[in-house]
Amino acid sequence: MQVFLQTLVGGIGFGAVYALVAMGFSIVYRTMGLVNFAHGSVVMIGAYTASTFSMAGRLPFPLAIAVAIVVTGLVGLIIERVLRPLEGRDFDLMLIGTIGFGTVLEALAILIWGATGHAVPSPVAAAPVDILGIRIRTYSLVVIVVAAAATVLLALFLQRTKRGVAMQAAAMDPQAATAVGIHVGRSNAIAFAIGAGLAALAGGLIGPMLYVSPTMGGSLGIKGFAAAIIGGFGNIPGAILGGLAFGILDSFAAGTFQGYSELVVFVVFAVAIMIRPTGIFGERTVNRA
Amino acid sequence: MSPHKPHRRSHRVWAATAACLALGVLAACSAPGDTGGGASDTGPIKIANVNAQSGQLSSLGQWETKGVKLAIEEVNKAGGINGRTIQLDVLDDQGDPTVGTNLARKIASEGYVAMLGTAESAVTLAMAPILKDAKIPNITSGQSPKLAALKSPFLFLNAPTSVTYDETLAKYLVDTKGYKKIAMISNNGTYGTGEHDAFKASLQTRNVTPLADEVVTPDQKDFSANLTAIRQQDPEVLFIGAEEVESGLIVKQARELGVKAVIAGGAPLGTPVYVTTAGADNAEGSVVSSPYLGNDVNDATKAFAAAYKAAYNEEAELHGAKAYDGAKILLEALKKTGGAGGQALADAIRGVGRNGLLGQFAYDDSGVGVHATQIGLIKAGGLVAEPTS
Repeated sequence: MQVFLQTLVGGIGFGAVYALVAMGFSIVYRTMGLVNFAHGSVVMIGAYTASTFSMAGRLPFPLAIAVAIVVTGLVGLIIERVLRPLEGRDFDLMLIGTIGFGTVLEALAILIWGATGHAVPSPVAAAPVDILGIRIRTYSLVVIVVAAAATVLLALFLQRTKRGVAMQAAAMDPQAATAVGIHVGRSNAIAFAIGAGLAALAGGLIGPMLYVSPTMGGSLGIKGFAAAIIGGFGNIPGAILGGLAFGILDSFAAGTFQGYSELVVFVVFAVAIMIRPTGIFGERTVNRA
Repeated sequence: MSPHKPHRRSHRVWAATAACLALGVLAACSAPGDTGGGASDTGPIKIANVNAQSGQLSSLGQWETKGVKLAIEEVNKAGGINGRTIQLDVLDDQGDPTVGTNLARKIASEGYVAMLGTAESAVTLAMAPILKDAKIPNITSGQSPKLAALKSPFLFLNAPTSVTYDETLAKYLVDTKGYKKIAMISNNGTYGTGEHDAFKASLQTRNVTPLADEVVTPDQKDFSANLTAIRQQDPEVLFIGAEEVESGLIVKQARELGVKAVIAGGAPLGTPVYVTTAGADNAEGSVVSSPYLGNDVNDATKAFAAAYKAAYNEEAELHGAKAYDGAKILLEALKKTGGAGGQALADAIRGVGRNGLLGQFAYDDSGVGVHATQIGLIKAGGLVAEPTS
């Protein structure tokens, strides 16, 4: 029982971060119908920026993450601006473009920070909370609260603000949206910026849990992407659920299947999307070519 | 567009391929460099250094490369070998065996007399057959027992294998300290598997059965399940068989989960990357089995550390030291052969009895040169020798 609960707690701690990564994938997908393959690398840039500002720049940790969100938001805007001429023309080239940006960002990180990476001390010094022998990292609690807050804010923005509703309209029917005066390009740019901002949030938060290096985006990106798919690609609550599900699955597989855990996780993932290709909240509304 | 055009182009491609093949054959012929091959007797002597310069294993690769460069520069400053300078080319394998095999073919075809590296046993294992066929000696920084098991006459290790590391560690933990409740966690990569098998075998010869034997993947991030299972056994010692970063993450999470056991492991636990990833408080007291316990051991290590500091403005550590030893052995052997490679160079390397930074080198036929390690402890974030009682 103790092992079960402790494993669950560990899975949720990492699952919250996967959820943030998955949300970044989903916001871009639901708006543009595009998978941003550079997303994992943006997470890495976010982790580096946040950790550099908090360690070398001596900024308080939340402020460092805010700086990272602004920096990666700009990166998102740049990616969107470069790809914009292809919007509605060549979708495959846009996809390949995002892959290219991922490689560029990784190379840039090596140029700026070197290839070796660095460890980030935990910003929360408090000892783990002990509930009946189950130990919960205080930092994991912070991560879960921040992830939940980000989700609520994003949902409010998409459903309650004019800009957010306009973005949904542009996603559903870009031509009709243009006809009623919605700037589709701007809506895409905002989606990219928000996606990149979420990436920075995820990267900044996971920095102290892992080791920040130029290649850290690879596996985080793949797991976040898989989480988004499992939740129902493009669906925000789905991304949260998918992220948590993936974190928990990962955690339990590690205990049960030891060295084969990675294999088992992705086999389960493959079977799950074979049974339900549209994911948990499956509505693949966006399909633009 | 004439229909002949593609035809003509394919002719040109064939011609180019044939030319490349011819060049490749020529280079392969001259690589052993006994007497004839004109190009290999004049001009710089080409040595390849293959190490990860990018990717998760790049910290390791860069330390190794720094050690190698230091040794080569010393020889070049002193006039090279028989008046010929050493040309050191650093090739990035990204810690990836597939990239490694491509590099091995490049090394075999471009007239390199020897290769130094890699720091990753898996990459070295992948490259070894190609280098053996091309008769190019390789002094690796890998330490998997599988490397020694190959018994390739062209493969040499610049450090002890995991068997030696873990035998020394088990002897200290069980025989000296009297610990019996020992848990293990290791990854299923080449290094982790080697550590797992070697340490477990050393425990078995002492009639100790590990309380837990958890296996993780090299890319794993969350160890809650594995560490909780270990915590329930309440071990006195937790043995870790994983690379620097993963070892650090395991120890950090183990302490957060309330595992109080003494942490023990091989060389990765002696590095600053491990200490900063785990956090200095969590790493405090870790028991490290290593052939290089620091820069103040003797005059040779002090001189090496000073030169390293002058060249790179950072503190020297084990990986730079063993790569330096390996490069020095190669250079000494090259001096004996007068710059020639092939079988003669391999035999010369086997004959070098260097009293190095890691200890006394005496190569056996499995390519292992150093046969002992020492025990160190992490104290206040640094590695210090455990006073022998």
